[in-house]
Amino acid sequence: MELFSNLFLGFSTAATPLNLLYCLVGVLLGTLIGVLPGIGPIATIAMLLPVTFHLAPVSALIVLAGIYYGAQYGGSTSAVLVNMPGETSSVVTCLDGYQMARRGRGGAALSIAALGSFFGGCVATFLLAAFAKPLSQVAFKFQPAEYFSLMVMGLIGAVVMARGDLLKATAMVLLGLLLGLVGTDVNSGTARFTFGLPQLADGIGFVAVAMGLFGFTEVISNLELKEKREVFASKVGTLLPTREELRRSVPPVLRGTAIGSILGLLPGGGAVLGSFTAYVFEKKISKDPSRFGEGAVEGVAAPESANNAGAQTSFIPMLTLGIPSNPVMALMIGAMLIHNIQPGPQVMTANPSLFWGLVASMWIGNLMLVVLNLPLVGLWVKLLAVPYRLLFPAILLFCCIGVYSMNNTPVDVVVTALFGLLGYVFHKLDCEPAPLMLGFILGPMMEEYLRRAMTLSRGSYTVFVTRPLSLALLLIAAALIVVVLAPAVRQKREEAFQE
Amino acid sequence: MKRLSQLLSGCVCAVILLLGGHSAHGDSYPSKPIKLVVGFPPGATNDIVARIISEKLGAALGQPVVVENKPGANAIIATQFVAQAAPDGYTLSIGASGAMTFNPGLYDRLPYDPIKDFAPVIQLATFPLVLVVNPAVPAKTLKELIALAKSKPGTLFYGSGSTPFQVATELLKKQVGINITHVSYKGSGPAIAAGMSGEVSLVTSDGPAAVAQINAGTLRALAVTSPKRWPILPSIPTLTETGYHFEAVIWTGLFAPAGTPRPIIEKLHAELAKILKMTDVKERFRTVGLEPGGATPSEFSAILKADLDKWTRVARENNIKAE
Repeated sequence: MELFSNLFLGFSTAATPLNLLYCLVGVLLGTLIGVLPGIGPIATIAMLLPVTFHLAPVSALIVLAGIYYGAQYGGSTSAVLVNMPGETSSVVTCLDGYQMARRGRGGAALSIAALGSFFGGCVATFLLAAFAKPLSQVAFKFQPAEYFSLMVMGLIGAVVMARGDLLKATAMVLLGLLLGLVGTDVNSGTARFTFGLPQLADGIGFVAVAMGLFGFTEVISNLELKEKREVFASKVGTLLPTREELRRSVPPVLRGTAIGSILGLLPGGGAVLGSFTAYVFEKKISKDPSRFGEGAVEGVAAPESANNAGAQTSFIPMLTLGIPSNPVMALMIGAMLIHNIQPGPQVMTANPSLFWGLVASMWIGNLMLVVLNLPLVGLWVKLLAVPYRLLFPAILLFCCIGVYSMNNTPVDVVVTALFGLLGYVFHKLDCEPAPLMLGFILGPMMEEYLRRAMTLSRGSYTVFVTRPLSLALLLIAAALIVVVLAPAVRQKREEAFQE
Repeated sequence: MKRLSQLLSGCVCAVILLLGGHSAHGDSYPSKPIKLVVGFPPGATNDIVARIISEKLGAALGQPVVVENKPGANAIIATQFVAQAAPDGYTLSIGASGAMTFNPGLYDRLPYDPIKDFAPVIQLATFPLVLVVNPAVPAKTLKELIALAKSKPGTLFYGSGSTPFQVATELLKKQVGINITHVSYKGSGPAIAAGMSGEVSLVTSDGPAAVAQINAGTLRALAVTSPKRWPILPSIPTLTETGYHFEAVIWTGLFAPAGTPRPIIEKLHAELAKILKMTDVKERFRTVGLEPGGATPSEFSAILKADLDKWTRVARENNIKAE
């Protein structure tokens, strides 16, 4: 079978001692920067691009790819341990992973995250190897109308995701939408809410907001409860997950992998949407949704598998069509161009050893990562025992460095600090930041797609329901609304009956 | 103990002051790393140009030449940064024609003046815009597309990834006399993807994103906007050959802040002119669809002024705004 001969070619390219070394360097570096809150794969890949000039093209891509999916593994670590999303898609892992850590199940959370990520990564790499060409066509089926409906579904899902008060969650989503409006409008070029500052012309940076709302807020509120903090740290518990936890993780991992693999194919926010969707899905089909947000292991297993699966499948549009689905892929394309390789549909046929070598290295990389990360879990958990007065300045420092390194401007750091304060206010008001993040990401995208869909349909609204895929997504969104409101309606009826 | 630490701090301060302060003579330049500021994220065309030449320039000058990305606001942030930097030759701008010749027409107020705040050093690369269509569109040549557009006015859509490309296409529309509707995208990548999926019929794009698709047959190229044929795909006719006197050449150049001493500018120009003639640089540029430049500071200045006047006029006439 052609697949086997291709894979053989791939492994023989990727398994040379030199390429294995590069793979190891890449994934190690990726894990490291994933763990450090703030510094992300984009900045690192950009910095290392010149270094890779002198390597062979396939080795260069192996290193850079390793950094990317290694960062997905590492991002979970800081999310679980200190409520800092190391990577944008780790935001969801913060929700239950950090709660598990506070209850002394941090080691288990990290292990489940590593294993789920490994499974997701491997399955997605297999999909990449076997179905790259057909899967690349999936992205084409999604035109603006479908993207808009997908975003609507995502936003309704954000409300579902919330732990507590429905009204507060909706308010947070809307606030996120408003914050997302800051910036330049894609279609008309009008600047909105930028107060004349060019740094805001492209919107408030996502990383800055995420770091502020999750990380800084957590530090501030922890400093407030001095004594309680030490109690949590001392309850380390067993490092490995119990058999019960493992058993409960298997279905979410499978579902998360499926969701993440498909959504990762979509250019623009696919991987992030994957982890959010996987989380919401698990919560909705769970027999006891109230466990979510308090340390449910499913809430860690599903998003982690989803984000790693998404990270692997996001390579598909880049490798098969030459279209980057996120800024990291754009960098990889840049790397290929610098090495004189024309990215595009011909890469698979014109450079088979490059394509298959890269694919094989992804498996090798995922294996290396899980072998590295599982033993390291004990080390990471020990970090929790470090006195907080030493830990939190380090966290804040790395955060600031990371946020600054995104665009080399101090404005981003100021924004992070402001959102840290805002997050503290939300914390006091018992409002969750996660729905705000989702509204913040999805809002501007939704608007872009809505207007483009309307331009292309010449102002006709029916386009959203006449296209089958879009209609299906809107129906799911409607179903979600019904599901969310039904218990509230039932409750009101019961109250009415009692009277 | 206190005396000792005071003495030490004093020594450290003295050393730092000695190292830090010295004027930039033409001969001793460069004596510390040089920064090339790029207004786009890593991986963008201008960034690739910057990285290719920074490596060579660093080797030629003996000091590291570092690329610093300051993306945002159509490169305004990066351009403003260099306009306000010290004119000592250590902070330079990789200025694309978007920021230098299109932005003044698109924005009411810019925090920099392309002519007054900058001293051009050298034009690094030029590239044309290429008009591509989805293969399903029944037009194999530009003439056929124009005929198609005229027969169905207002029904065809074209996509572009950045406002400068839109401005150029609007001028073309006027000159040719067709009515097609614009759809904006965030960058040439998404615009090309939209062309491939059939979302829009026509795309005005720059080289890197389009070349791979044209070679693979997923998009059909109709024309390029340069005066001569594009070396990377010589089979595509120019607009002039098709019968329309239309030219839009996008370029990337190196700029220093105004007031940078002439010896430094001339030294940079000399080194870069040599680099642009190197075979491997030429080859790397061509893969991305760029033609190496090499204009002298005064030639470049003239090009800058001509383009600035032209595009400002077009943007104002068509009332295209970015703000």
